[in-house]
Amino acid sequence: MAHFLEHMVFKGTDRLLPGQFDQVIEDRGGMTNAATSHDYAHYFINTTAPHLEETLPCLADLLLNAAIPEDEFVRERDVVLEEIRQANDDPDWLAFQALIESVYQSHPYGRPVLGDEAGLMQRSPEEMRCFHRAHYQPENMTVVVVGNVAEAQALDLVNQAFSQFPSRPNCPVAIAHAEPPITEIRRQELYLPRLEQARLMMAWIGPGVDQLRDAYGLDLLSVLLAGSRSSRLVRELREERQLVQAIASDFSLQRDSSLFTISAWLAPEDVDRVEALIGDRLSELTTTAISEAELIRYKRLLCNDYAFSTETAIQLAGLYGYYNTIAQAEIAVNYPNQIQTLQAEELQQLASQYLSPYHYAATILKPL
Amino acid sequence: MSVNLSAAQLLENRQVHRAVLDNGLVVLAVENSAADIVSARIFVRAGGRYEPPEQAGLSHLLTSVLTKGTGNLSSLEIAERVESVGAGLGADAAADYCLLSLKTVSADFAEMLELAAQLLRSPSLPEAEVELERRLTLQGIRSMQEQPFSIAQKQLRQAMYQQHPYALPSLGTEETVAQISREDLQQYHQTYFRPDNFVVSIAGRIAPEDAIALVDQIFGDWQVPTTPEGKIPLPALALPGITSHPKQVISTQDTQQAIVMLGYLAAAVHSPEYVALKLLNTYLGNGLSSRLFVELREKRGLAYEVSAFYPTRLDASQFVVYMGTAPDNAAIALDGLRQEVERLCTTLLTSEELQSAKNKLLGQYALGKQTNAQIAQTFGWYEILGLGVEFDQQFQIEAANVAAETLQAVARQHFAEPYVSLVGPAIAIDQVATPAAS
Repeated sequence: MAHFLEHMVFKGTDRLLPGQFDQVIEDRGGMTNAATSHDYAHYFINTTAPHLEETLPCLADLLLNAAIPEDEFVRERDVVLEEIRQANDDPDWLAFQALIESVYQSHPYGRPVLGDEAGLMQRSPEEMRCFHRAHYQPENMTVVVVGNVAEAQALDLVNQAFSQFPSRPNCPVAIAHAEPPITEIRRQELYLPRLEQARLMMAWIGPGVDQLRDAYGLDLLSVLLAGSRSSRLVRELREERQLVQAIASDFSLQRDSSLFTISAWLAPEDVDRVEALIGDRLSELTTTAISEAELIRYKRLLCNDYAFSTETAIQLAGLYGYYNTIAQAEIAVNYPNQIQTLQAEELQQLASQYLSPYHYAATILKPL
Repeated sequence: MSVNLSAAQLLENRQVHRAVLDNGLVVLAVENSAADIVSARIFVRAGGRYEPPEQAGLSHLLTSVLTKGTGNLSSLEIAERVESVGAGLGADAAADYCLLSLKTVSADFAEMLELAAQLLRSPSLPEAEVELERRLTLQGIRSMQEQPFSIAQKQLRQAMYQQHPYALPSLGTEETVAQISREDLQQYHQTYFRPDNFVVSIAGRIAPEDAIALVDQIFGDWQVPTTPEGKIPLPALALPGITSHPKQVISTQDTQQAIVMLGYLAAAVHSPEYVALKLLNTYLGNGLSSRLFVELREKRGLAYEVSAFYPTRLDASQFVVYMGTAPDNAAIALDGLRQEVERLCTTLLTSEELQSAKNKLLGQYALGKQTNAQIAQTFGWYEILGLGVEFDQQFQIEAANVAAETLQAVARQHFAEPYVSLVGPAIAIDQVATPAAS
């Protein structure tokens, strides 16, 4: 519903015809788009500063007064169905969906953001309007303005444009609970046609944003394991033993419970061996402290990555909005300082707590 | 200092400084103190276009192995050097050039540029690393077969470019990559990696004169290869011509979506029609208000992804429109795409449409030159393509001045019969592969 709504928001209001908003932005040389994840939907405009005054009120009108017309609803549903078909042709997407479904058995994080055909066909425009009015309310919304604009002017603009929120309907509100820990190894194998190599994806449940310090530690462990060419798993499995085509690790901070993954692209016959080796390397993390040299290297890598990803206004707006939606914007600025204070013993303890080689979910894709 | 400085070029309120070292290497420098970062893009006039057909993938394999050993550093030592200062360093091959990208915090820049120079000037291309990267490349080629869009693009390119090197993917083919030897890599490196074939483009928190002096210090003693008769000239390329013989290319496979792709041979970057085609491409396929998006997605719900691309190329490029659609809709999709392209030949853009396409093209062009990496990329790329850094201004002025009549004339010149590339299940192919559908 949230993702389909994100599409429908662009279908206009009483004042803006479908597609008119896109024209307003793009005619002025700007860009606009949106994306939906499990924790939030995110809409952006990227334009030169003088155009902010004309464009921001239009975005506010879309977000606050989405009309969700019946005929557009039916037509746009076809577009979302195409989006799902396209995703279904992507083996990495399929593997990831199967993986999170296995990790999050009760929390909505386990459901695909795109939904599925059967579910979409059951939704009505009225239900969507209700969902929209229930969630697109000021306490759930963050507006970030970054660029060559005076603070007072930006505040004025936002105050004016985002003043008239829709009245709150009496809508059922879903309440999500944190996912209970994984207490076993949940393995599933899927066989797909047209697959040129196997995938091994492993996942662990991480902390929620209320344990931010733990999250930063896991961020560092993720790059230390497979974030660069000299990282432990890349070096051993790709460069030395040559067992994988590629291996990557990702830590994705989510509000209620984060996700730590390790993914490898490899020959089907090497899956078991690689899975066992990854388990061994995780055990080592819990028994042996990381060397000072390694610690310094990966701290620096993370802090520089942070600097490299905060060069432009649109990057900064995305970053501040993200943190403010799941916690507070201020913590975005503290990230490098927090990373710098991480200690080897602390990381060892985090590895024991979160990255058990005996408690995880694994999804394996093999050629049919 | 043995450097010829030439006219500075204005970029908004910043200047692009251009210098040529005695050995012919071109340096571009833009100061941008907004962040404590320096980016460099080092271009080599090599790449897919310069490969013999039987050695397709040579540039890609060379750039993969380039960062994996020098006379005194192993692959791991190189990776550790880069990562210990949290820098980014990578090399890659494109159709018209090879590229090394570097990004550091300002204080580390000199040290990393020095390392990059070692890699580019004297890579040791260790045999074991060649074999490892070869294996990974072969697997990469096979993996492209998993993506319907890649298959559609690959077969379209092959049909359009025939014997020209643009016909083949930058990774090469399984046959060619299997037989490239370490000696081939060395030979290719010796031939093309020389100072008078290089552009070093730098942007960030560094004074232009310091950037130029640094490049001179690091690359200045590198000599162009000579024989007793003098400088060895760069090899003359004799590339086959490309003529248009539109046809259908098809891969039948059991995917959920059909990919429908239409391609037209299109002007090279040095051609006078280049800017007009960029505008036509923007009008048709760029953004949520583009013609294809509005007509085929918004109004008809045929696709999630429907778009157009027209890459900038030294030789003939391709103008491509495509979408992914439900197999049942393949014929409608093909008709819809074709009608929209052909409409450009018969219907003049209104003045509003034209202005909007210009604003969009120029606005996005400006948004694409924000980070240091983007700035370094843009100017270095223009230089290596032989357009010169002035092209940045020239392109914007030309784009602003294109008339609707010119767009129509260029459309008529290019958009007669398309090449058609289809990937999808039999039910989709059957609708469009028969003459009755067209």
